Amino acid sequence: METSALLDPRLLIVTGKGGVGKSSVAAAVALAAARTGRRTCLVEVEGRSTFSRLFDTQAWDFDEREFRPDLWGMSIDPEASLREYLELFYGARRLSRLVANSTAVEFATTAAPGIKDVLLMGKVKELERRRDPDGRFSYDLVVLDAPPTGRIVNFLRAPDATTQLVNVGPIRQQAQSLIDMLSDPRRTNLILVTLLEEMPVTETLDSAAALRELGVTIGPVLINRVLTERSDKAASKALAELSVADLRGLLGTAGLAVDDDAAAELLDAGAASTKRLGLQRRLRTQLRKQLRSTTLELPYVYSRRFAADEVGVLAGLIQEAVEG
Amino acid sequence: MSRVLPATGSQDLSAVVADRHVIVCTGPGGVGKTTAAASLALGAAARGRRTIVLTIDPARRLAQSLGLGRLDNRPRPVAGVDGLDAMMLDMKRTFDEVIDRHASDAARAQRIKTNRFYRQMSSSLAGTQEYMAMEKLYDLHSTGGYDCIVIDTPPTRNALDFLDAPRRLTDFLEGRFLKMFLAPGMVAGKLATRAAGFGAGLFMRAASRITGQAVLGDLAEFFQSFEGMYEGFKDRAQAVYHLLQQPTSAFVVVASAEDPALREARFFLQRLESDGMPTAGLVVNRVTPPPSAGLAAVTPRAARAAANTLDGGGPESRAAAALLRLYVDRVEVAERERRAIAAALHGVDPRALVQVPLMATDVVDLPGLTAIGRHLYG
Repeated sequence: METSALLDPRLLIVTGKGGVGKSSVAAAVALAAARTGRRTCLVEVEGRSTFSRLFDTQAWDFDEREFRPDLWGMSIDPEASLREYLELFYGARRLSRLVANSTAVEFATTAAPGIKDVLLMGKVKELERRRDPDGRFSYDLVVLDAPPTGRIVNFLRAPDATTQLVNVGPIRQQAQSLIDMLSDPRRTNLILVTLLEEMPVTETLDSAAALRELGVTIGPVLINRVLTERSDKAASKALAELSVADLRGLLGTAGLAVDDDAAAELLDAGAASTKRLGLQRRLRTQLRKQLRSTTLELPYVYSRRFAADEVGVLAGLIQEAVEG
Repeated sequence: MSRVLPATGSQDLSAVVADRHVIVCTGPGGVGKTTAAASLALGAAARGRRTIVLTIDPARRLAQSLGLGRLDNRPRPVAGVDGLDAMMLDMKRTFDEVIDRHASDAARAQRIKTNRFYRQMSSSLAGTQEYMAMEKLYDLHSTGGYDCIVIDTPPTRNALDFLDAPRRLTDFLEGRFLKMFLAPGMVAGKLATRAAGFGAGLFMRAASRITGQAVLGDLAEFFQSFEGMYEGFKDRAQAVYHLLQQPTSAFVVVASAEDPALREARFFLQRLESDGMPTAGLVVNRVTPPPSAGLAAVTPRAARAAANTLDGGGPESRAAAALLRLYVDRVEVAERERRAIAAALHGVDPRALVQVPLMATDVVDLPGLTAIGRHLYG
């Protein structure tokens, strides 16, 4: 799949190993989609208030709110999904109140295997399928900041596990319709976020295999925090041979006076960076060879602030990659 | 540059690896928690203490370096390190052991273990992994004969779920909701009509319309077979909690130098404080080291200007320019990390703060763990 088709499906499920910046990338993808004129809904399911912080907004909840042009955000919690589900299918407010007030909710939402995930995904499907009165889809794209790769397979397998446990009734139908959504490549793509580091690359390759087995289509893999090469080939070669005295001399010609210790420190940092870049090249080759998907690289953003700066920069690069 | 750490705090964990009996490493996912746990265990073993590191889900290569080829819930000696064992938690097996221990007889234990809800729950119920980690910890504490037990907690979303896990599981198992199922005579097929009380009846009717009755039958059987085991569960949960509160225990919170991870670390520290748990330190992994005092005199602006000048020269000049740009990047990142760490520690006392610098290679083997150890305990 081409990188330019990144934003073409109706639902993007974004996952990655903990610590790779999955949520920032999900936010950047959603922001890029909105900037291309797609009516986009960004969804969080783990209630960590990540996005309200990244975008500097009020706390997110079950109500969708447009917080940037063409960009809506919401936070799905299983209890609200269960309540909405019961009201929708049973029209029984009294029943739903009764259920909501009992420990049954705790059971259904935290304990019953997979039910919580089915409820969360049910709400995502509702967003993905919703139509305006004129018949067109309310959202062009839904971006889901999903659980990390360690839990993603169980998360996506929940509808299937439910159909095996429950063989009749509306829950089964609901689960089946989720399986249909997840396995349709035109509707759903899975976006893996990784870093060019040992453990994230290994986990990405393992997850990609497990997810393909599940029947989910994997979209372009987004490589986050790629270190920029700071020198051309000839300069890199010269760098490896530079001595402390050489460096002091060169810096002196540019009007910068440093002592031996400072020059040595600069050279050490340069050597460490060369090593990291080598590792990065090796892992990039490994990833490309073993992964049957295109990749899109996003640079490490050297800003003084986390959050909004980074998301804005990444969104610009994603937009560029998609619009060519 | 202001110091982040309160004046009384220490900069390493050597006292912790030297004398604490239980060391719990906790923190968000993907920050190097398993690496820190393994490295602390190496430190304890190096001080002649019989040590075990219990890990939940180590990365493959790290597991191999510890000699953990397979997941079998048994302590294995780590090759090349005297006095150090390692084991990987097998959740399902640990839960089975819990059932065997608490069930009144073998037949009942067997009935529980073959129930399909148990089979699902033992691997996927929220909090089960945390609970089982604590079970195993207590087990090793009471029967293992170890001087030091280092445990790596699961990467839970919510701060310190594992402290709540035993309580949550028992609350759940003996909750009001269950009473509906535990009414005598409730067996599969008769749920809707025989449930006790109006509320339960209404709920059961609705529930069986949604899921089908066979499921509820299984569920009822599942909870009925747990009857009489709750006391045992609760006592054990209490004992684990008590063990963790002892001054011989130590909690080490692990984070990376990124803002989201540090925010979570802050929640962890606050929660430990409010639960009266013995916090021993905050380890921040992969920190970008700030420039030394001598080099720091070069401002980013001056460095950028010099780099622009040097860009016009030959390869050597361009190499010098590249070094200056790297330096500017490093200053920016070190500064934002310093601020993120300061913000995370505002008003909370981690006792010790250890900043482990970003290594030039990823840590996946014993030499790597030893290198991390030099920063953790000198």
